[in-house]
Amino acid sequence: MRLRALVVLAMGILPGALHAEPLESSLLVLTSYPDELVARFEAAFERANPGTDLRVLWKTGREAMPILRGADQGGVDVYWTPALRNFPLLRDEGRLRPLDIASPEFDREALPGRIGAQTLSDPSGRFEAFEVAGYGIVVNPAYLADRGLPTPRRWADLADPALAGHVAFPVPSRVGFAPVLVDIILQAEGWTAGWTLLQRIAAGAELADRGPGVGDSVASGRRGAGPTIDFQALNAQADGKPVEILYPERTAWLPAHIGVTAAAPHPKAAAAFVAFALSEEGQRILFHPDIRRHPVRPAVYRDAPAGTGNPFAAAGAFAYETERGSRREPAVAALFDALITRRQDELRELLALLDKARRAAARTGDPALAAQAEEALALATAVPVTEEEAAGLAVTPALDQHWAERIGKARAAAADTARAVLAAAKEP
Amino acid sequence: MRRTLHALLGLSVALSATAGAAVQAAAPSNPTRSALDQTLPPTDEAQRVQFTIGRILFNHVWTPGGPDPEAGTGVGRAQAGGRALVQNGFAGEGGFHGLGPTYNRLSCAACHIKNGRGEPPQGPDDALRAMLVRLSVPGEDARGRPKPHPAYGDQINDQSVPGVPAEARVFFTWHERVERLADGTEVPLRAPEIRITDPAFGPLGSDVMTSPRMGPPVFGLGLLEAVPERVILALAETQAREGVVSGQPNRVWDREAGVEALGRFGLKANQPTVRQQIAGAFVGDLGITTRLYPEPNCPEAQDACAAYAAKDEGPQPELSEAMLDTIHLYTLALQPPPRRNAGDPAVRRGEAVFAEAGCARCHAPSLETAEHPRLPGLGGETIHPYSDLLLHDLGDGLADGRPDHRAGGRQWRTTPLWGLGLVPLIADHPAYLHDGRARNPLEAVLWHGGEAQGSADAVRALPTADRAALLSFLASL
Repeated sequence: MRLRALVVLAMGILPGALHAEPLESSLLVLTSYPDELVARFEAAFERANPGTDLRVLWKTGREAMPILRGADQGGVDVYWTPALRNFPLLRDEGRLRPLDIASPEFDREALPGRIGAQTLSDPSGRFEAFEVAGYGIVVNPAYLADRGLPTPRRWADLADPALAGHVAFPVPSRVGFAPVLVDIILQAEGWTAGWTLLQRIAAGAELADRGPGVGDSVASGRRGAGPTIDFQALNAQADGKPVEILYPERTAWLPAHIGVTAAAPHPKAAAAFVAFALSEEGQRILFHPDIRRHPVRPAVYRDAPAGTGNPFAAAGAFAYETERGSRREPAVAALFDALITRRQDELRELLALLDKARRAAARTGDPALAAQAEEALALATAVPVTEEEAAGLAVTPALDQHWAERIGKARAAAADTARAVLAAAKEP
Repeated sequence: MRRTLHALLGLSVALSATAGAAVQAAAPSNPTRSALDQTLPPTDEAQRVQFTIGRILFNHVWTPGGPDPEAGTGVGRAQAGGRALVQNGFAGEGGFHGLGPTYNRLSCAACHIKNGRGEPPQGPDDALRAMLVRLSVPGEDARGRPKPHPAYGDQINDQSVPGVPAEARVFFTWHERVERLADGTEVPLRAPEIRITDPAFGPLGSDVMTSPRMGPPVFGLGLLEAVPERVILALAETQAREGVVSGQPNRVWDREAGVEALGRFGLKANQPTVRQQIAGAFVGDLGITTRLYPEPNCPEAQDACAAYAAKDEGPQPELSEAMLDTIHLYTLALQPPPRRNAGDPAVRRGEAVFAEAGCARCHAPSLETAEHPRLPGLGGETIHPYSDLLLHDLGDGLADGRPDHRAGGRQWRTTPLWGLGLVPLIADHPAYLHDGRARNPLEAVLWHGGEAQGSADAVRALPTADRAALLSFLASL
C-alpha cells in the first residue's frame, strides 16, 4: 500500500488527492489485452477501489490510434496495451499526460523502467512499462530427445542442418509478435548475416501464419522447436503441454505500456489504475497460468511460479533498439515474404544445391572454387534493400514486384554458379 | 457463402494442421488446464480448419463498431490472435466487430472459462463478471417465453459501448450459515442476495423477477443434442411410473424450425438447440446479432442503445451465418473430458453410494445418442453425462421464483455432472449450482431440496467414509 501511494503521488496527477477524496465513479481503459488478463485486473482493481467501475474498450493497436487522436480521445482515460509504436507517437503528439516518473519520490529501484542496457519506459515520463515479453525458442524436449536432435539455444542453432524439417517459424506479415522477433535476430546478427540466417532457418521450417502457430506445432509434437514470444509457450506449459522456453543470450524483453490520456475525463481513477497495474499486487497477477507475462517490478519475482524466467537477472549486454525496429517493421515483414514466404520451396532447393556445391568445392581444395561457392551463397540470400533503405520504407506493390524480380535473378545466378562449381569439381 | 467457404478452405497448412494437435485428448490420468478444449477428431481438412476458427471465435475478444476497412491488408503488425481469421475472409463480414450497444462480457470464453463454467463474485465489492442476471415480469409472450422487463429486457447488461449507458451493476451479498451432518461434520453454506445498483432506466419495480446464472460448461453439448427426444421423454415416463421423482420436459420455441420443441439446453432447458443457445448468447451477452436474433438488444426505454444500433453501418447481422456455422460446429465437437480413476475402489464405492442415495434417478448415468445431422461422429454412442435433461423441483433453497416456458420457479434442468472433477483444476474459484453459491460438490448436494430432498438427506446421513467415497466418485467425473 505504501508503494501504491508513492506511485500515485509520483504520477503528478492531483498529488495527494487520491486518498483525500474519492475516485471518480468510472474510468474507461482502452486495451488490446486478452480477456484472461483484463478481467483479472478489472476485478482486482474494483475490489481495491469500491465504487469505481472500470470499463473496457477493446481495440487493436491500429484501431486504437484514430480513437486516441480523435475528439476528446474517445473518452478514454487509460491506454494499456502491447503496442511499441503507438506510445511514442502519442507522446510526441502530446496526447499522453505526464506521469512525472522522474520525480524524486518515484522509486526507480523498485520499478526500474529498464532491463540491463535496454530502456523499457519513456524517459520523458509519459508512459510506463507494464510488463515485458521475452523472445526465445520454444522446444519440445521429448521430440528432440526421441530423434537425437540437439537443443537449440542460440538463434543460429535453429539453422543447424540436423534440425532441418523440425523447426516452426512465424510469418511476420501474419503473426503479431513475429516482426519484432525477426528484427531481434537482425539486430543481434547484423542485417546481411541476419537475413542469411533467417533464410537458412525458415527455408526448411513449417511457416506459421497465426499467433499460436509455432507454440501449437511444438506442443503437439509436429515440430521440435521454433522461435516465439514467450508467454504463449508459458501458457502452453501451464496448460500441461510438454514444452520449454529457452532464451538465447542475444534476445530482447520488450515492454507493453500504460499511460493516461491528455484528455482523460477521470484522471484520479486513471492514476489509481496505473498505480494498481504497477503495484506488487497488480504485477503478481501477471503470473496467473492463463496470463504468464513478466512483471516489471523485480521484487515480485520472489513469488514467481517455478520455471519463470527473470529478465532482470538474465539480461545480457545486447540492447535491442525498439524504435529502430519499429521504423523498418513494414519493410522487414514484406522482405520476409518476398525472400521466404512466397518462395520457400525454391529457397530450400537452392540452399541444398549451394551446400552441395560448397562441400564439393571444399573437397577439391581449390580456394577459387570455394570462393565461388561462397559468392553463390551470398547471392542466393542477398536482400534487395540495405538496412538504411529499409528504415521508414513504404512497401508498394510495385516495389514488391521489383524485389521479386531482383531476388529471382540473383537466385538464378546463384544456382548457375553452384552448378558451375559442381561441374568444375566434377560432381553431378 | 461461397466466398466464405473459399476463405475457410484457403487457410494455410500450418493453420489447418494446428487443429489436429488440439484433438489429442489429454491423458486420462493426467488432465491439464486445456482438458475441456478437446474436439472430436476432424474428418477432413475443411472440418479441421473450421474447428480451429471456431475456437478462435469462441476465445477472441469482440469489439464495438464496424469492421476495420484496413484489416487483412498490408503488412502491419497484428495485435492479437486471430489474424488468420481476419485475413482469410471474415474481415469483410465484420471480423470481431459488432459488440454491444450493451453487453456483459467481451468474449464467449469470459463466462465459459476454458470451456468450463463461470464464477460468481467473491466479495461484496466484486461486480458480477462471469455470470449474468435474467430478468422478467409476470406473464409470458405468445411463444411461452418469460415477459421481458419493459426497460431492461431479459437480462442485465452491465457493460456498454462509449456513449450508451450500461443498464446497471450487479453485486452479491453472501449470507452464510453452517449445516451439521450426521457424523458431526460442519459444512458452511452460503447463498447470494442480489444487489442491483446504478439502474440507468429507473427502478426495476417490485414485480421484477431475477435469476442469477453462472456461465455453464460448453463441452458435450453436441452429444446431448444427439440424444433422441424419445429417450428423454421415456425417462420422464419412467420417473412418472416409479413416482419418486418426476422430471418434466420443457417445451420451447425453435426459431429455426418455427415449431415448439423439447428444451434441453440452458439451466432451465429453455433452448431447443445448441445453435439457438449460441445465437441467444451472442445477442444477449455480447449484443451481437445473428440471423436467428436479428434485432439489436435494445429495450424500448433505451434510446441511446437504439440510436447507436441504428447508426451501425457494419454488416447485418453482425455475426454472419458462416461465422455462426463455424462456432456452432466447434461447440458441437467439444468432447467431455475422460474420467479419471474410475477403477479406484473408493470411486467405485462412491458410485454405488450415488445410486443408493437416489442421485442417479435424475443424474442419469448413461444415455444413447443417434446420428446428429450436423456432425455425424456424435451418433451411436453411449454417453455418461449424468443428466436426464429434464426439469425437476429442487425446492425453495434453490428456487429463483422465475418461470421460464414450462419451467416453474422451483424447477431446474438436471445439470450434467461430466467434467465435474476438473473444476478445481481450471477455475480460480471453483463454484457450482446455477448461481455459483456452492464452493464444492458437497455444498451443492446439500442445497438440493424438493424432489431431491431425499437424496440430499441420504448424503447428510452417510458415514464419513461413504461420504468421502461419494466425493471421490464425483471428482472422477
